[in-house]
Amino acid sequence: MGLTDLMSMAKPNMDARENFLSKLSSREFVNCFQCLKCTSGCTALKLLELKPHEIVKLVNLGFVDELASSDIIWTCVTCLKCVQRCPQKASPYHIIMVLRNMAVEKEAQIPEEYLKTVSRILETGLAEAPQEVTTRKMEVFDRKSLNLPKITFPRESFQVAFMKIMEEK
Amino acid sequence: MKLAVFWGCRILTSQYAYEMSVREVFKKLNVELVDLSEANCCGDPIKSVKDSAANYLANRVLAIANATGLDGLLVPCNRCHFTISEAKDVMSKDKNLNKKIESLLKEEGLAYNSHIKIWHVIDFLHNFVGLDSIKKTAQKPLNGLRLATHVGCQIIRYSDLGRVDDAENPRKLDELVEALGAKTVDYAEKLDCCGAALMYGHPNSALSLAGAKIKALQNLGVDGLVISCPDCGLMFDFRQKDAAATVGAKTSLPVIYYTQLLGLALNIEMEKLGLHLNQSPVEQLLMKIST
Ligand code: SF4
Ligand code: SF4
Repeated sequence: MGLTDLMSMAKPNMDARENFLSKLSSREFVNCFQCLKCTSGCTALKLLELKPHEIVKLVNLGFVDELASSDIIWTCVTCLKCVQRCPQKASPYHIIMVLRNMAVEKEAQIPEEYLKTVSRILETGLAEAPQEVTTRKMEVFDRKSLNLPKITFPRESFQVAFMKIMEEK
Repeated sequence: MKLAVFWGCRILTSQYAYEMSVREVFKKLNVELVDLSEANCCGDPIKSVKDSAANYLANRVLAIANATGLDGLLVPCNRCHFTISEAKDVMSKDKNLNKKIESLLKEEGLAYNSHIKIWHVIDFLHNFVGLDSIKKTAQKPLNGLRLATHVGCQIIRYSDLGRVDDAENPRKLDELVEALGAKTVDYAEKLDCCGAALMYGHPNSALSLAGAKIKALQNLGVDGLVISCPDCGLMFDFRQKDAAATVGAKTSLPVIYYTQLLGLALNIEMEKLGLHLNQSPVEQLLMKIST
């Protein structure tokens, strides 16, 4: 959902803010002084109107639930420029990642490709399946015909461990 | 010299040219690469879903590398390199998570080791092999070529983590290209992201990011773009046509992995470097080298 719509009825929730703080270990987002260095260099600003300084401000004011339900948090390209450039170590990228985790937890609508990836990793250990590649001359190759070594996929004990940590509260 | 190597998912499943050229070039430089057995995804896509699980995945990779007994791990993918580096950092700071992850690893008979040095292709070649030695081994200098470099985002940011090159003015890839006799150009869009991470949720926007950069480079009239990350390869090489279409352009920009370029300079056969697998018109570039 759009953040503007979500915000029209929103009330600040300081408990949610506390909960958020506990998940953001060793980051100092409360020190953000709204200098806009993050937003002025943000890759997703021009593209999809992501304004990282606004996200930081809204978290600080207690609008965590609204952000976690919004679709804006899924526009970050993870270029890490805001982490690098923030003079206050507030790091909007890390804040956005915590918000995404919260969105998953509360089963908000998220781009489905992320959840599909979880299942793929669970099945094979890898996020993607080996593909055939068609060349510019329309020849088709795969790992075998390129003489690349066979992929060794992780055994079942990996699945058990991965499930455990995925299901943990 | 012996190094363990973790390829991640994208290289192993589609960016074969990168894998082939790294294997060939490292062999030529007398570095033996030892593949990890039963490795998993580095955890990058899971960061958005569940951070602790992503950290588990990354640290499992380190634990498997530890099992090889080697003290250096080559990670040629930028995204894996960042995810593993950050997970290692989290392990040293978050004692609770550290305990949890160590016990999960133990169940599989694996042990975490924080002392493994993580290399990317760029810093291994630049810092360890060295420019002089690369200059000396290059039998076929690439004089006359004018190339642009795209180093990517995640091996240069964020500096607190200890990255491969400077965050705002990365030069290593340029210097590596220049060591082969080619010239590199500075351009305004150099630090612009390829957009790959947005392919999950906003593919058209992602492609338009890549498209804008390719278009700018085309206008600069460079002979090609040199990259060193499989995500950038996906966006600039594999998807170049689609990317250009999103910004209303038609482009024909050769995109080549640095290890392919180095391989050419080391006189390795083109097929072995996977040069038939690039989807961009690399023959334009190859013609200029052979003449
Ligand atoms: S998050 Fe950092 S860079 Fe962004 S406005 Fe706040 S202090 Fe400035
Ligand atoms: S990491 Fe995300 S929020 Fe930060 S600058 Fe890049 S796109 Fe913007």
